[in-house]
Amino acid sequence: MNLWLPVNRRRALLRMGWHLRVYALASARRIAQLAKPLLSMANTLGLSATLGAREWWRLDAPVIAYVFKVLLASVLAVWISLRLEFDQPRTALLTVAIVMQFRSGMVLTKSYYRLIGTIFGILASFFLVAMFAQERVLFLLCMTIWIGLCTAGSVIFRNHQSYAFVLAGYTLCIVGLPATLTPELTFNIGVTRLSEILVGLLCATVVSDLVFPQRMWNVTLQTVRRRYTDFCDLLRVSAREGVAHATLQAHMLRFIGDIFSLESFRASSGLETDESRGHRHRLRLLNNEFMEVSTTFHAFSRLLQRQQANSHTEVRESLLQLYQCLADAVTVQHRSAHTEQETLAIVQQLKAFRDDFDLRLQAARHRLPASLQTKDLLDFDTGAAYLLRLAEELYVYSRTYGALAKSSATPSAPDPLQAGELPAPLEMHFDPLAVGLAALRGGITLLILAGLWIFTDWRSGIEAITIGVITSTLFANSPSPNKTIRHFMAGAIIGTVLAYFSNFWWLTEAHDFWTLIIAISPGILLASWLGSRPASAFIGAGASVVYLLHIGFNTVFSANPVTFLNDAVADLLAILVSGTMYGLIDLSGSVWSRQRVSNALRQLVVAVCRDATPLRRARFEASARDLVQRSGSAQRVGEVQDQEVVKWLFSALEIGHAVIALREQLPHVSPEMARALQNAIQQIASLYEAPGKAAIARAATAVDQALTVAAPAAGYEMPTHVRHLLLTTLHFVHSTLLDEASVLAFSPTVFTRSGQELSHAT
Amino acid sequence: MPREFALLDALVPTLLLAFIAAAFGTLLLDRLFAWLGAYRLVWYPALFRLAIFGCLFAGLGLWIYQ
Repeated sequence: MNLWLPVNRRRALLRMGWHLRVYALASARRIAQLAKPLLSMANTLGLSATLGAREWWRLDAPVIAYVFKVLLASVLAVWISLRLEFDQPRTALLTVAIVMQFRSGMVLTKSYYRLIGTIFGILASFFLVAMFAQERVLFLLCMTIWIGLCTAGSVIFRNHQSYAFVLAGYTLCIVGLPATLTPELTFNIGVTRLSEILVGLLCATVVSDLVFPQRMWNVTLQTVRRRYTDFCDLLRVSAREGVAHATLQAHMLRFIGDIFSLESFRASSGLETDESRGHRHRLRLLNNEFMEVSTTFHAFSRLLQRQQANSHTEVRESLLQLYQCLADAVTVQHRSAHTEQETLAIVQQLKAFRDDFDLRLQAARHRLPASLQTKDLLDFDTGAAYLLRLAEELYVYSRTYGALAKSSATPSAPDPLQAGELPAPLEMHFDPLAVGLAALRGGITLLILAGLWIFTDWRSGIEAITIGVITSTLFANSPSPNKTIRHFMAGAIIGTVLAYFSNFWWLTEAHDFWTLIIAISPGILLASWLGSRPASAFIGAGASVVYLLHIGFNTVFSANPVTFLNDAVADLLAILVSGTMYGLIDLSGSVWSRQRVSNALRQLVVAVCRDATPLRRARFEASARDLVQRSGSAQRVGEVQDQEVVKWLFSALEIGHAVIALREQLPHVSPEMARALQNAIQQIASLYEAPGKAAIARAATAVDQALTVAAPAAGYEMPTHVRHLLLTTLHFVHSTLLDEASVLAFSPTVFTRSGQELSHAT
Repeated sequence: MPREFALLDALVPTLLLAFIAAAFGTLLLDRLFAWLGAYRLVWYPALFRLAIFGCLFAGLGLWIYQ
């Protein structure tokens, strides 16, 4: 039938079909066009989803695992404490919260020192209660002395050892003070606290070691690797285009921070069970070698910068060429080494560089124009000598670092390298006055709070004293205690609010163990999450300490609104008092303390010049760096005053090393030469004792005289290598002294004994 | 075995001594195993160590309370 449609209708139908086909094609194309970005979007989304997942796994998952580890350890501690019917299960909880750390090794070490500190604190409380239980004033005075001693100890020592002192201090508050109210129960209180703390420690260590353990060795290795890569990057960049003074300084400060954080990792790895224990000596060696190589690098870079200003172009060019060869030697596949295996290749390249250095040096020296003066040649020789030293130290350092690759293949085999030689430990160098003031600060805080307790007869006095002592000892060696204590205060407020809800809303509903856990866990989770982030670590600490001190259950529900409010006020008041004391006796942020650090740095140089037996190189280096690290200036380089300190550090390092090298040569030279050297060293010592333009001039003249005596023209006999070393070192000292940018040149306006010279100058 | 002993006239459970002894024993065994390289054969060294400690402590405890 349809076949016989009228022609015009057939045509219309045909046209319609054609239209339809066009439509279909067009819409298909449109869909394809629309789908293309959609598809690519989906693709990107998928990709970013995997990237995001990887990121999450790397950054967020460990934090979540950590937070739940804290909860698990807390649950275990509460269960055991309730099971053993201890008076205060919250002491075990508090211990868990304080001891838990991200890395298992750190938990073990911290627990160990916490145990030692607690035992000493308990012994001290027994003694004090036995002596002065009836005399509260004498008791509190002796307690003040004890707290002062502990604060001093916590300032002097580093890392977790410092923590043991804090513990010894505040254990006296949590054992000794309650015991004064009931002296006949002292022994029981002491033993119970010890048991509770032990339970907390055991739970924390077992959980952190068994559940998703985070090994120290990984983070240590990462730090070492990153440091090596950074250093090689810096070296290559500086050889290619040179670095500005400020950039160089910033890098050097980062390296100082790295050295000390590696030292703290090393210290924490003692009880760790993985490779880090086997590598402890090697890590110490690595740190010492790195300090040397970074100092030499700094000295060499400064030398190049000075030559930029006042040296012959040819000399500079050929030195830079040599330097470029060294930079090539630390390059693999057009970049710096990222792993130990790649470093093994670099070790070979550095060895080759060192072996060929003499040939290269001769060739470069021949290429220099004959018209150069002796001074310019000496410039070149000095640069070459420092470059060689840099290469050699870098070679030694790379070899030690590369050896990690070999020995990690057989982790448990004893380290043959370290069997004989023990590298020197990282020295401690502190300012006795600063330590004394910190002790005084701790003591005064305690006295104020104790006075308040006695005169107002306030029932939360013990609580106030405890928190006051914790805060005034715990933050005594933080780089900026004022900021730390503000964070802690914020945390304490959060902890109080949490404790309020937990005590009066949730715990009242709890009727068995698991509901109890549910009632206390939000606070623990929140506080430990805050504590796991570096930015809010102290907020978390404050929150967990205050929350767990107030949590309202012992063996039965025991929260009481009146006590709670009293205690909450006591906490905040105590933190305010110790915050005020930190503000009043400010050891880290004041101009005065920075001047003392600068002074101490200068005294180190004077000691290097004058002491009968000169300091060893590594020891001098570590002492100087420790001074600066302790003062906290390295963490706050933004401020002008702190930059002064850092400039003094590098000035002291440059000159100090040169002086040590010169003094080592003294026995090998003729009497005339020795006399000239002694004179130069004496002048340098007096320059560092009282810096000033005149002193610089005197020291520079003395060094110049020594240079003249050491020159071959003077005709004194000495071995060639000794002459070469003397000439290059003296020339280096000379150019350092006359450096316009050096801190020595600016010193009279900034560091005078009083304002006199300043007023003369204006 | 007596279950308590007098330490400076304070009665201390012998179990505490057992605990300390077990801890030292574990430490020694740990060093020994690390030196022998035995931990390469163990799936989860931390758990293994805890188990060793558990065995030692429980053994001593059973001996004290037999």
